[in-house]
Amino acid sequence: MSRAPATTIPGEELLGSGAHAEHLASRRARARARNLAGYAFIAPWLIGFFGFTLLPMMASLYLAFTDYDILTTPRWVGLENFHRMFTQDRRYLQSVSVTLFYVAIAVPLRLAFALALAMLLNTQRRGMSVYRAAYYAPSIVAGSVAVALMWRQIFGREGVVNAVLALLGVAPVSWLGHPDFAIWTLIALAVWQFGSPMLIFLAGLRQIPAEVYEAASIDGAGPWGRFFRITLPLLSPVTFFNLVMQTITGFMVFTQAFIVTGGGPMDTTLFYALYLYRRAFESFQMGYASAMAWVLLLAVALCTALLFKTSGRWVFYEAKEGR
Amino acid sequence: MRGPVGRIVATIILTVGLCLAGADHTPALAQSSGAPVELRVAWWGSQDRHNRTIKAIELFQKKYPNIKVTYEFAGWGDYWTKMTTQAAGRNLPDVMQQDYAYIGEWTSRGLIAPLDDYVKSGTIDVRDVPEALLKGGVVNGKLVAVNLGANSQCWLLDIDAFKKAGVELPAPNWTWADFEKTALALHGKLGGWGMGSGIWENQIWGALYLSAGQWRYTADGSKIGYESDKPLVDHFNMLLRLQKAGAMTPRADELASFNMDTSVELAPVVSRKAAMAYFWSNQVVAVWKAAGGDERNFVLHPLPRVAGGKSANFIKPSQFFSVTTQAKQPKEAAMFIDFITNSIEANEVLLAERGVPISSKVQKALLPLLGRSQAEMFAYLDRVSKDVQPIPPPDPPGHVDIVKNVYNPQVVDPVAYGKLEPDKAAALLRQEANAILAKAKR
Repeated sequence: MSRAPATTIPGEELLGSGAHAEHLASRRARARARNLAGYAFIAPWLIGFFGFTLLPMMASLYLAFTDYDILTTPRWVGLENFHRMFTQDRRYLQSVSVTLFYVAIAVPLRLAFALALAMLLNTQRRGMSVYRAAYYAPSIVAGSVAVALMWRQIFGREGVVNAVLALLGVAPVSWLGHPDFAIWTLIALAVWQFGSPMLIFLAGLRQIPAEVYEAASIDGAGPWGRFFRITLPLLSPVTFFNLVMQTITGFMVFTQAFIVTGGGPMDTTLFYALYLYRRAFESFQMGYASAMAWVLLLAVALCTALLFKTSGRWVFYEAKEGR
Repeated sequence: MRGPVGRIVATIILTVGLCLAGADHTPALAQSSGAPVELRVAWWGSQDRHNRTIKAIELFQKKYPNIKVTYEFAGWGDYWTKMTTQAAGRNLPDVMQQDYAYIGEWTSRGLIAPLDDYVKSGTIDVRDVPEALLKGGVVNGKLVAVNLGANSQCWLLDIDAFKKAGVELPAPNWTWADFEKTALALHGKLGGWGMGSGIWENQIWGALYLSAGQWRYTADGSKIGYESDKPLVDHFNMLLRLQKAGAMTPRADELASFNMDTSVELAPVVSRKAAMAYFWSNQVVAVWKAAGGDERNFVLHPLPRVAGGKSANFIKPSQFFSVTTQAKQPKEAAMFIDFITNSIEANEVLLAERGVPISSKVQKALLPLLGRSQAEMFAYLDRVSKDVQPIPPPDPPGHVDIVKNVYNPQVVDPVAYGKLEPDKAAALLRQEANAILAKAKR
């Protein structure tokens, strides 16, 4: 590939004079220098990709079949890690069910919330750009430790939620310490982090031509009819994109549980990524943790593939319509 | 690989390699006393400990101007992640803080150097240290770690709350039945919680069997060391009774408010919501301070015993300093340990924050400087040491795994939330712990 520019110089074989050969050589040298500059410019990315992504991934694939505690050399154990995961480790299965529950509840709720707000923000009012910025702001900080800490305060025993409930005469509840409630505080946090899907929905909504709505109104379609027959179908590619992205991030949720609940109480918020981290960096079972990571990768890939498979039934692309 | 790509890749590899090589081969500085030497020290702890330790390091540098100390510190959890990663990269500091639960495992992996030669040559002077206080740092007959402070578990009792409730302070040899009565009486009179945080701690599991003359693991650490689950089952049942009666902080509140991190400031005994709490004696200094300092009246009390049992207490090295086998300056590292052990000046700054200093000379020198909480800690160690058990063997490899992956999530929590019968929980603990220990032993 690197020699391609040089060989395409026209008439190279026909002209054999010394002067021309020199000329050719200098052109080749220049082309090479150009390529060199190109590679030099993308070198940071190349180093990053090979050194910090591909290499660790390959290493973790190898480690997934070993018993490795960091301090001693890895010991090959074949499929034992995977076997243990699915047959002996009850906490692993717990983490799988917690994560699936979270994804199944939090992702649709977040999307619904994001869509509702996007529609509100799509109306024409004075100062709308201020509102848009204000509603997007939380998502800039939402994944952060600071927000998780704040959430702990809000739902803590002496937090805002209990203070409000106390005004209504309700006894304080240990939201974060109760096995039935703890996961819901994290789901609430996830729903509140609606900023980026909202932004994408908003962009999608603005693509829908106003004439379509006008025509439908004239034909007597009410607000619900317009929503279900126009907005949702025309927005479905955007919804699909959001769904895929949010499902993937949903599977990888970590920070929130790590800080707000620590995986407790009774492992009811022990998300997959959190359990993986615990195995790797607290129990130093790197082999087992690597195996878990690869199972997660396969599961997310499978889930995404399934979403793509179903998309044919409910996602409408304009190009297809016009066919 | 020819052509520009090959050349670039080669250049990158060479450049990166050169950088790494440069980092690896930092010239080892000469060992002679006059030449400048760099010493790396690492520890875990609270902000208070960091400040004190850094000040002590400055004193060390003043005494040995040729030694420049660089240091790193972290909280408990991050510290072990960091040290393990450094060990894998063969980049451990010269001096590292160690713990009784880890020292056996780290020594067996060849990461910790023996110190006997330095003791023999007098580099580490232990003439003022009682033999018993060094014993915790001996692994396989060799001294590998020097104790930074003596420590014991305790019940922290709020004297004012006891007075207000008209409940007598318990006897030093109290039993768990006495404890239950006391907690119920306090709750009956005061309305709040008799017992606050800490009672579900895995250390209590150990204390139950220690008091019964056994230990939770066998001496070789290959399996659970007791025949009968009954003491543990009885204990869980009592906790459930107290929890139901409202005489003890419910597990849900403990998890939600103050057990997730190590901030003692949130313990119920600090905010007068509970009259008793379980702690390690060196933690009490911080608890007392958070509770309001001298306006509060606390006393440290030994752990309850099983009926007819022996003392449930033992004197534990709170933590150690060890020299690693990857140390570049082992001699200076030993000098540093000696300085921390024997320098009165340094200990005036450290002020027993890591527990009661092991040198009797240092102890005596500190006495007039102590605040109330530290004085009570010194006095408690003196009281309790008259009737203690010998220190149990270091926890075997796999213990940390058992606590984090079995004891807390699969035993204590389900029992406390009423989702698992105590006898089934104890049986599960035995089964899972044996499996982990067998695997760790392999």
